[in-house]
Amino acid sequence: MSAEHHLAPETGPALRVKAMEALLREKGLVDSRAIDLLVESYETKIGPRNGAKVVARAWVDPAYRARLLHDATAAIAELGFSGVQGEDMVALENTPDVHNLVVCTLCSCYPWPTLGLPPVWYKSAPYRARAVSDPRGVLREFGLDLPENVEIRVWDTSAEVRYLVIPERPRGTEHMTEDELADIVTRDAMIGVAKV
Amino acid sequence: MTLLTPDMVPTVVKTGASTRRADEAVAPRFKAGDRVVARNMNPIGHTRLPRYVRGKRGVIHQDHGVFVFPDTSAHGGGEKPQHVYNVRFETSELWGPTADRRASLYIDLWEDYLEPA
Amino acid sequence: MNGIHDLGGMHGIGRIVREKDEPVFHADWERRMFGLFIAAFAGGHYNVDEFRHAIERMDPAEYLTSSYYEHWLHSLETLLVEKGVIKEQELEAERAALAKGGSR
Repeated sequence: MSAEHHLAPETGPALRVKAMEALLREKGLVDSRAIDLLVESYETKIGPRNGAKVVARAWVDPAYRARLLHDATAAIAELGFSGVQGEDMVALENTPDVHNLVVCTLCSCYPWPTLGLPPVWYKSAPYRARAVSDPRGVLREFGLDLPENVEIRVWDTSAEVRYLVIPERPRGTEHMTEDELADIVTRDAMIGVAKV
Repeated sequence: MTLLTPDMVPTVVKTGASTRRADEAVAPRFKAGDRVVARNMNPIGHTRLPRYVRGKRGVIHQDHGVFVFPDTSAHGGGEKPQHVYNVRFETSELWGPTADRRASLYIDLWEDYLEPA
Repeated sequence: MNGIHDLGGMHGIGRIVREKDEPVFHADWERRMFGLFIAAFAGGHYNVDEFRHAIERMDPAEYLTSSYYEHWLHSLETLLVEKGVIKEQELEAERAALAKGGSR
């Protein structure tokens, strides 16, 4: 053993992941630089700003909205977003009468190319358990109290289709540019736990 | 087995790995508007039919097309490509008569999970 | 399977906890785990259905009390050993060496 003293990584998952990566690298099965690139892509480049651009385009361009509702995968790809966990997309339009809410009760399925990686709460047991049986209560916990006459449609992402909610455009935004509109569209509104 | 190298990453990320099998000419058993019931099946292996919809009656909302079937794919049993449908269930059907009537549940179910109602 | 992962409609699971300005990854090991999953998946070592089912086979108490990327770690370790891509002893040896503060 050399005189150099390496700091041992913490036990638990950090140690296990380090061991796994080292072993797979030794076997020529993973390239750590590819992992670096993947991390960079999803940590800094792919995120809800993508979905916000889709929503903003749908707000200003009725023909785009129609294409989005007809074939979301193609329409989203028009703006340059596609790929892993977004290969088959469906857009869900919120209206004054219908509010859409997306969940994956069985795991954590989420439209990565448009929203990036999901937040912890979306993947956690409480949301997954309650979104399908008490959606109105869940929305109230998020601060969204919908009028009783609004129908809530809960979408359980049980297969490989991924859902993106197109929130309603708020009043008083008529003067805003498409870029400014994209700035106000939140991730939570595209999951359906908030309005813009 | 392929080694994923950095130059491959952008393509992999942008292309993904769809489990849609558009080339498989599989005739759909159901169409939008059909009344169906989710089977009461309790496989020990992998399935994407949650317990809360088993045995419940719903209506086909949309046919998504043909996809790999996870129940076989997870166990080396092949892709068994088949239609996946989005099915609408009323909350009263799922949770009983006191459920919120102004809510509904839409879930994606493979054809093997469904029977005509 | 009628496993712990099938959570739709369960009661008593607790409150939805949200973290303000939550980062994409909470620790460096989560970053590496995320990348490892994609790299191994792209490498053709398993499909997404196998991956999910390995998580579903976790001990229920462990499933509920461990973090999301620990689920992924469990799945990767389980599948690669089950498929003979790595041996359990090799993984243990690697961990032991790292815990001592060196490498093999």
